[in-house]
Amino acid sequence: MPFGTQRIRELTGLVRDPAQLARHARSNIELWASLFIIGWAIAFMFWQGVGFAIIIGTVFAIWAILSVSLNLIVGYTGLLSVGHVGFFGIGAYTMAVLTSNPAYEQLRTEAIPTFGWPFFAVLPICAVLAGLAAVLVGVVFNRFRDDIFVLASFGFAIISFNVFLNLRPVTRGAFGIHEIARPQIGGWLFDGELEFLLLCLVFLALVMLVSWFIVSSSFGRVLTAIREDEQAIEVFGYKATHYKLAVWVISAMMAGIAGGLFASWTTFIDPNSFILLESVLMVSIVILGGLATIWGSLLGAMAFVLLEEGMRFIPYLPAEYIGQARQAALGIMLVLLMLFRPQGLVGRYRL
Amino acid sequence: MSTQRESARGLPQLLNIPGTRLLAAVLAAAVIAYLAWKIGQSPPQALQFAFNGLAVGAVYALLAIGFTLVYSTVWFFDLYYGAAAGLGAYGVFYLRTSPALGSRADVNSIYVNAVFAAIVAGVVAWTLHAVLYPRLRGRFSPNTIGVAIGLSAGAIGAYAGVVLSYPAIIHVMLSPAVGVVAALAAIAIPYWIIQSFSPTIRLSLVAAFAGLPAALIGAACGYLVSGAPGAGLYLSWAVSCLLAGCVGLALYRGLYVYMRQRARSPLIMLVASLGILLAIAAFIVIVFESAPRPLPDAFGSAPWKIGGARIKAFNVFGIGVAVAGFAVLWLLLKQTSFGRAIRAIGDDEEVSKVVGINTTVIIAAVFFIGAMYAALAGILTGHDTAVQPRMGLLLLLKGWIASVVGGIGNLYGAIVGGFVLGVVEQFGIWDLAGEWKDAIAFILLILFLSFWPQGLLPRR
Amino acid sequence: MTSTQSDHTDYALETEAISKHFGAVRAVDELSLSIPRQGTTSIVGPNGSGKSTLVNLLSGVLPLDGGMVIIDGEGLRVVKAYETPDHGLTRTFQEVRLFDQITVWDNIMVVLTERRLFPSLFERTRPSTRQKAQSILEQVGMWEKRDSLAQELSYGQRKLLEIGRALAMNVQTYLLDEPFAGLFPQMLERVKDIMKQMREDGSTIVFVSHNMEIVRELSDRIIVLDSGALLAAGDVEPVLNSEEVIEAYLGA
Repeated sequence: MPFGTQRIRELTGLVRDPAQLARHARSNIELWASLFIIGWAIAFMFWQGVGFAIIIGTVFAIWAILSVSLNLIVGYTGLLSVGHVGFFGIGAYTMAVLTSNPAYEQLRTEAIPTFGWPFFAVLPICAVLAGLAAVLVGVVFNRFRDDIFVLASFGFAIISFNVFLNLRPVTRGAFGIHEIARPQIGGWLFDGELEFLLLCLVFLALVMLVSWFIVSSSFGRVLTAIREDEQAIEVFGYKATHYKLAVWVISAMMAGIAGGLFASWTTFIDPNSFILLESVLMVSIVILGGLATIWGSLLGAMAFVLLEEGMRFIPYLPAEYIGQARQAALGIMLVLLMLFRPQGLVGRYRL
Repeated sequence: MSTQRESARGLPQLLNIPGTRLLAAVLAAAVIAYLAWKIGQSPPQALQFAFNGLAVGAVYALLAIGFTLVYSTVWFFDLYYGAAAGLGAYGVFYLRTSPALGSRADVNSIYVNAVFAAIVAGVVAWTLHAVLYPRLRGRFSPNTIGVAIGLSAGAIGAYAGVVLSYPAIIHVMLSPAVGVVAALAAIAIPYWIIQSFSPTIRLSLVAAFAGLPAALIGAACGYLVSGAPGAGLYLSWAVSCLLAGCVGLALYRGLYVYMRQRARSPLIMLVASLGILLAIAAFIVIVFESAPRPLPDAFGSAPWKIGGARIKAFNVFGIGVAVAGFAVLWLLLKQTSFGRAIRAIGDDEEVSKVVGINTTVIIAAVFFIGAMYAALAGILTGHDTAVQPRMGLLLLLKGWIASVVGGIGNLYGAIVGGFVLGVVEQFGIWDLAGEWKDAIAFILLILFLSFWPQGLLPRR
Repeated sequence: MTSTQSDHTDYALETEAISKHFGAVRAVDELSLSIPRQGTTSIVGPNGSGKSTLVNLLSGVLPLDGGMVIIDGEGLRVVKAYETPDHGLTRTFQEVRLFDQITVWDNIMVVLTERRLFPSLFERTRPSTRQKAQSILEQVGMWEKRDSLAQELSYGQRKLLEIGRALAMNVQTYLLDEPFAGLFPQMLERVKDIMKQMREDGSTIVFVSHNMEIVRELSDRIIVLDSGALLAAGDVEPVLNSEEVIEAYLGA
């Protein structure tokens, strides 16, 4: 909007009339939310020091990949999936099984086949396996809609956890898999936190680029139309099921990459990282940040990661309950968002 | 969703489609052949699995019954339902835990008690207001009614707080309440019986005649309970069911009512209840820690041996509870005006409002009852295995699968679906390890949703 | 009623004993009719006579329970919604079904773009499509509103936009389900003008309406349905003045 005299008059009028000012502030909630969260992130960096900020940054990057990819399904295509954690887990376990250190694993009673492949060779496999799983799941889920889809994906999340826990010949069950390899290019091992953060950010940028490429294409426009009225868009010559399946698989592959990064970063995974609640948290991030915006998902992931640090200010809250307190806060936030702002902080689309 | 409901197609229509018919026939034949083979292999074991199936099926059936009640009234999936199961089970744990169970005995917290006391007070105040205010409006001034309702709600809330604060002597604390309930029942039951013979009978007349005996019965019951520490466990079941119900009602009245006015799609409600589920699950972990906990033994643990199968008394009791729960709800829905109101709201809420049904009160009651069923299922599971914060999620899924298998929105379908799911799960793990039973349930769900979305017993 | 044995190319649309049942209700019952190429055909009938069901069957929104739809001489036992544009058919909906939460611009653009999955992933808006969308939006008078969400439009504007979306498909046959319902006179004239223009361009227009004045003004041919069956078909005046049609409307 041009900053002419009209605009100046508007602004001076705002200052005189508090009610209008409040209205104005509310209409700019997107800007304020962005500024607040970014400001918080910068303040956090100064407060906790760069070392810790790097760790938090890596966590953020992984969550951001997940939420950006989930937003393709939830925000753009309108399929409220709470099963994303399944694909995340498939990626993570692929990375774990294919790269973990053989010598260590064979010491244990629950021996699993190990390969010791390099990180960069396995990462594409993570994406492909997650994608294959998504094809299987997607073909079945394609016919479900709305609340049936939500609960079916809910079931998928629980079952994938079950598989990770009980498919012991592959996943070692509750013991988890140790000594997952860090990335290595030639002789340069990414063992430092900063290098890993940069790697994650590169992949985040890639995922965002791909997402942007998808949503700004004709394909992306069809997805939004499917979200609005699947039957109507079919009348205009689009096979909605194919589009849904395609975006579902792409999103799952991104989640698979996030899983691979996560496994390599922590170097140890067990099924407890892939419970249903993680998936619900992903959905909350997407909804909090805003449906059908890539920027919103970044913001949501950042707010989510920082929330945990914000929780440290709550008096009398023992440190071991901070994760739970964050979960509770997110749940309550979800309720409030549904009541007052169903499109999330910076979203365009209301559920 | 509405089109799906309108074009509800049952078994007969479905069987007209050749492919589905063949598939259904092949699947059914395969299942029957497998069952026959297994039963022939080892009859006692088959009996054992069947019994186990019925035992877990009872829990699923209870969940599905409540779920169906809520879903067929408001037509959205209330995920609080899963939290209610967790709340119910943890309520019993909260009231009956002891050092002997190997857990923190000091879990009783003044904050938790205060929160639940406040919820109870709020729910009672709203209920009294909604039910009594229209009747008393002409006779007393609004201020008088307000103060009276506020005082009685406050008193009941405080009573709930006190009961929660002294779980060790819960039988003493609750004996007056048990007495009052018994006395009221002693008046109400004769009234209903007489009413079915002569519909014109007045409640005051029955009360005048039955009043004194009822008071005596009440006092006797109260006295008996106050002298029976063993009743504490069963009282704690009632308390935690009621509390879960109160939370469900409070959520409906405090949240869903506003949301339903604005909601464009059922997904909004679903996501909001997802948030509630998330928050309550987190609070449960904060209060109780995340490790699984046992509940005290309900009926002794020595199993009976019948035909080579080991049958636990508690499981038989659980099956009985499920059947009784179904019977109660059936009576409620088919025999009372309350039930007719529920069905009217399920068919068309707006029209029900127009014809003078107080939809808010009815739906609130539905949420209350639904949450109580979920809590009961949670308690049964807790006694059978253990309580853990995530149990609600799995139970929610199982309850939903059971209602899909039975036919979404059909009460008979719910109980059938529950038992079918339980039995299928148990027979399914005969050749697999026990941990795959959730996967079997999920496969059953996918099969039903894909090929038989209307379930075994479609809604009308 | 014309025989279906005649040369198919005369007809844009034909049906052969198509049926649709909802439970016990026979919404469309063994209905056979034919709609000639070019010109405007109106479908009228009392409420619940199966007009909208017929349109839904022709466009593949509802599956056929029996019979055959012949589009452009090609017989189809199963009409797949996503194949109807290939048969040169598009439609509007009785209850306006726009893509509510995307812009007016995107509502038009979405029907102008690539249908194939992978090419559509790499397709960006081309100037030619842009021009096409602009001309459509100008034709329905919605160019000024192009950046607002479809759900923010008034009812009449939504109705117009939906007709614009059908126009953008640029096919042979248009099925318009109640294009005039609930419109103000001004909007009504606009829709009429658009339909006259379409007719002049040589399209086949089939529309459902309750407004007899408009039916008389616009149609070349008329089809009257009652209880899912064909009551009468042919030129407008004779059909509308026939005994049985008057009887059906007065509710004998």
